[in-house]
Amino acid sequence: MIDLIRGVGIGALDRLGSLGNATILWLTALSGLPRRGDLALLARQIYTIGVLSLVIIVLSAFSIGAVIALQFYVQLSRFGAEEAVGLGLAMVLLRELGPVVTALLFAGRAGSAITAEIGLMKSTEQLSSMEMMGVDPLHRIVAPRLWAGLLCMPLLTAIFNVVAIYGGMVVAVHWLGSDPGGFWSGMQDTVEVWEDLGKGMIKSVIFAVVVTWIAVYQGYATEPTAEGIGLSTTRTVVMSSVMVLALDFLLTLGMYGDFN
Amino acid sequence: MAEDTFIEIRDLHFSRGERKIFDGLSMTIPRGQITGIMGPSGTGKTTLLRIIGGQVRPDAGEVIVAGHDVCRMSREELFEFRKNIGMLFQSSALFTDLSVYENVAFPLRVHTELPEDSIRDLVLLKLNAVGLRGARDLFPAELSGGMARRVALARAIALDPALLMYDEPFTGQDPISMGVLVKLIKSLNQALETTNIVVSHDIHETSSIADKLYIISDGKVIGAGAPEALRADGSPWVQQFMHGSPDGPVPFHYPADELLYDVLAEVGP
Repeated sequence: MIDLIRGVGIGALDRLGSLGNATILWLTALSGLPRRGDLALLARQIYTIGVLSLVIIVLSAFSIGAVIALQFYVQLSRFGAEEAVGLGLAMVLLRELGPVVTALLFAGRAGSAITAEIGLMKSTEQLSSMEMMGVDPLHRIVAPRLWAGLLCMPLLTAIFNVVAIYGGMVVAVHWLGSDPGGFWSGMQDTVEVWEDLGKGMIKSVIFAVVVTWIAVYQGYATEPTAEGIGLSTTRTVVMSSVMVLALDFLLTLGMYGDFN
Repeated sequence: MAEDTFIEIRDLHFSRGERKIFDGLSMTIPRGQITGIMGPSGTGKTTLLRIIGGQVRPDAGEVIVAGHDVCRMSREELFEFRKNIGMLFQSSALFTDLSVYENVAFPLRVHTELPEDSIRDLVLLKLNAVGLRGARDLFPAELSGGMARRVALARAIALDPALLMYDEPFTGQDPISMGVLVKLIKSLNQALETTNIVVSHDIHETSSIADKLYIISDGKVIGAGAPEALRADGSPWVQQFMHGSPDGPVPFHYPADELLYDVLAEVGP
């Protein structure tokens, strides 16, 4: 019994310790002043993290938009309310699915890559040797990845939303023959810039912070062995996904939870 | 303190978990010479280099490099201080995403404002010094172990550091590249007049180039002096190490029960 309590205590202290380390890492990395050549480093990360994620984002967005439109159409047409497909689609995407699915895809595609890359740099002593050369790896390696993630995720979310709505339109209007006027005007009348789009984008920024933070920290704190890197990469994806889903619920509750 | 002392380590204590790595270690590294630090694997030789470079903070003690206490430097001061240090890592630690040329150019690009053609000249000179000017366009994955270590050496000397630290430079090298490295370390020391620390357990190679040797074990210095003097040292421990005898004060066996007892013991569930 005592052992159990002791175990829980040690576990909690460990968690708290690594949360503290992760916070220090994050703050130190983001606090450095920009230097010459930083823009080039950032551009390169935006390319690997953002641009190369476009394919999976666009493909998933299109199919998710199409599937949602199809389900909405089937149900709504029973009440003769097919034109509501557009507004339903927009609401679901802008408020929830856009930010959440983008964050999940981002964690799987870019987050895992960041962890593996930094972890391997650590295990091959590249980070150490950089430090010994008087170059701060937090500034040179970690910061560009954090900033690139913060910039890319909201943009990817926006692209996701646009493509998903297009996918939904292809299904509802072009394929099932719903009225295009109803599809678009329903959306225009109901969707509000701040309430729906703005709050969705705020979610996406928060997810961006969480996912890139987890990815970078897991890489930086990895056990420098093959198993260690594998474990850290898995942890990045699992922790990011769980955190994104849990945070999304809390954020939705906070943003839209006023039911009176 | 004599004026030719470059690094002075006083009463260094460091433990990792329960294990004591250094237990009151003291040594002085003379300026402009090659100092060898030897000892069995796992005695914290690499850790010592990391402490000198400020990557690891000791529990107690002082590490004074050129008049400054490394253990009391702030993060910014440390990064400034390290511009004067070159370190050759055991794994070479080349940046795998950069070519040989860019690896050597890296410290120059980050720390100097030199124009591109001066950087080019410097990089080619450094690569020439290690005999790899022709390999400048290769990537680290295309290099053999010995070549990678020489490129890492060229990178370590790119900024003409005042202190060069070699972590096990001879480990895993074939006889030819071992000979090349021994010659390089010696000639670089003479040409650049840097202070060199060579951490190694290769007695023969290290004593052939070192001006002074330290042997450490169990967190303390157990033998110090010129290589010839150490060979004649009376301490049985130093004798065992210098002559590579399998058994002696350092037992061949990891602590265990008596063999007979162990073999005859019942295999438990």
